Amino acid sequence: MKKPLVHLESASTGYHADTVLRDVDFSVYPEDFIGIIGPNGGGKTTMIKLILGLQPLFSGKLHFPAGRPQMGYLPQASQVDRSFPITVKELVSSGMKTRKAWVPFLSASQKSRLESMLGEAGLTSYAGKPIGELSGGQLQKALLCRALIDEPQLLILDEPNTHVDKQFEQELYQWLQELNKSMAILLVSHDIGTISPIIKSIACVNETLHYHPSNQLSEEVLKVYNCPVDVIAHGPVPHRVLKSHDHE
Amino acid sequence: MTMSEFFSIFQYQFFQHALAAAVLTSVIAAMVGTYIVSRKIVFIGGGITHASFGGIGLAYYMGLNPFAGAAVFGILTALGIEWISDKGKVREDSAIAILWSLGMALGIIFVFMTPGYTPNLMSFLFGNILTVSLTDIRVLLAYAILLIILFGIFYRPILYTAFDPEFARTKGIPVARYRYMMSVVMALAIVLSIRTVGIILVLSMFTIPQITAMLFTRNFSLVMPLAALWGVIGSIAGILMAYVLDIPTSAAIIFFLTMQFLILKGILLIRNHILRK
Repeated sequence: MKKPLVHLESASTGYHADTVLRDVDFSVYPEDFIGIIGPNGGGKTTMIKLILGLQPLFSGKLHFPAGRPQMGYLPQASQVDRSFPITVKELVSSGMKTRKAWVPFLSASQKSRLESMLGEAGLTSYAGKPIGELSGGQLQKALLCRALIDEPQLLILDEPNTHVDKQFEQELYQWLQELNKSMAILLVSHDIGTISPIIKSIACVNETLHYHPSNQLSEEVLKVYNCPVDVIAHGPVPHRVLKSHDHE
Repeated sequence: MTMSEFFSIFQYQFFQHALAAAVLTSVIAAMVGTYIVSRKIVFIGGGITHASFGGIGLAYYMGLNPFAGAAVFGILTALGIEWISDKGKVREDSAIAILWSLGMALGIIFVFMTPGYTPNLMSFLFGNILTVSLTDIRVLLAYAILLIILFGIFYRPILYTAFDPEFARTKGIPVARYRYMMSVVMALAIVLSIRTVGIILVLSMFTIPQITAMLFTRNFSLVMPLAALWGVIGSIAGILMAYVLDIPTSAAIIFFLTMQFLILKGILLIRNHILRK
């Protein structure tokens, strides 16, 4: 059996003295495509930040059994300052991990990789433009290029479908399915209904994590996993996870 | 004033020094100010500026160089604010307000306790570019060259850590190291510029040319030289206006920088309005 890329064991984390997530047991394998769902404030973003090394581990263990994998990260759109004077080219190239980040210029191979990424995303003509001139969908594409430019083994996306239109959302999901052939994906969403057709399994995060090894989700299953739902009419699985979780 | 009287001022060494200081301060402020405005940390700049007055007061009291005192207070304040922001245990804006007013209070107390008259105090508050010495110019030139080299070598990590520090951390960039380095860079740039326009007005040199430049470009590497250009034009025009009208130089510089921004903004608004029709 393949080694997991990431393994969390009884992990707890939070902010200052407040524990936001406790006793998390979770593994991510190379072919995984896991939808991380849960209510707002339940700890979804905190969980992925723990894996990314942006959150301190209060207790428990965080392992990378096959060595720390190359990770690509797409943060929530609200975290991106669109008024910052940075060009699309600079934004995407900031995803390149180099031993010497201080070297002022990109190497020829880095430039070629950058150009091919921008070309694949249809952003070549926007390369020199500031990110403030991009539409919501184009900005998400640029951020996804930044996350992918280092050819990660694990791609982590935090609510990539906000501030984008339906057409881009579908395009994004097709792209992610294709990418999943070569990398593991963690996709955070507050709405399982829209992502269930593309994910392979589900992790429900609300103060702790409950893993569900299938994308087939029903009200009954969510109740078993202590994830009460509100039935709303959209998507193949019509529901939304509620905030009022209690994982006693 | 006749034209020959007007041009005669250029023969004087103090005026040549003033022009050189204006150009060099504009270049320094353009680079550091672009970082400040882009990161939206103008309030931190204000905190550093005003806290440095405490250092000036202490240096006066101890008979030391006031700029050395200002530099020490400025750097400690900048590092303190970055540390507070990093740890997040105290609200950053509250911490800045405390350091801002504490610095001013300490400055006033030390100046009050200093025996005798403190003749240059007003020049620290409002600047006096006409008294800039050759040594001052050499220091400004050395710092401007240092900044050009620093931004040249570290452009990418400075940009990346300013734009998205969390993402930069995921890429293994030592974000805290760069942030602390830039805090020191900011503090020294502000303290050196106090000579030109004074504590009260120095922040405008670090913001107005940058927002003027950002009317034309949203590219960090282009904002810096363009802000330097607007800074040089505005400050030289301010110095000349101060000479002609016999008004305080620093205030004239800030007035010109602001007018420059408003006029250009107005022209762009009119142009956009016409293009839309």
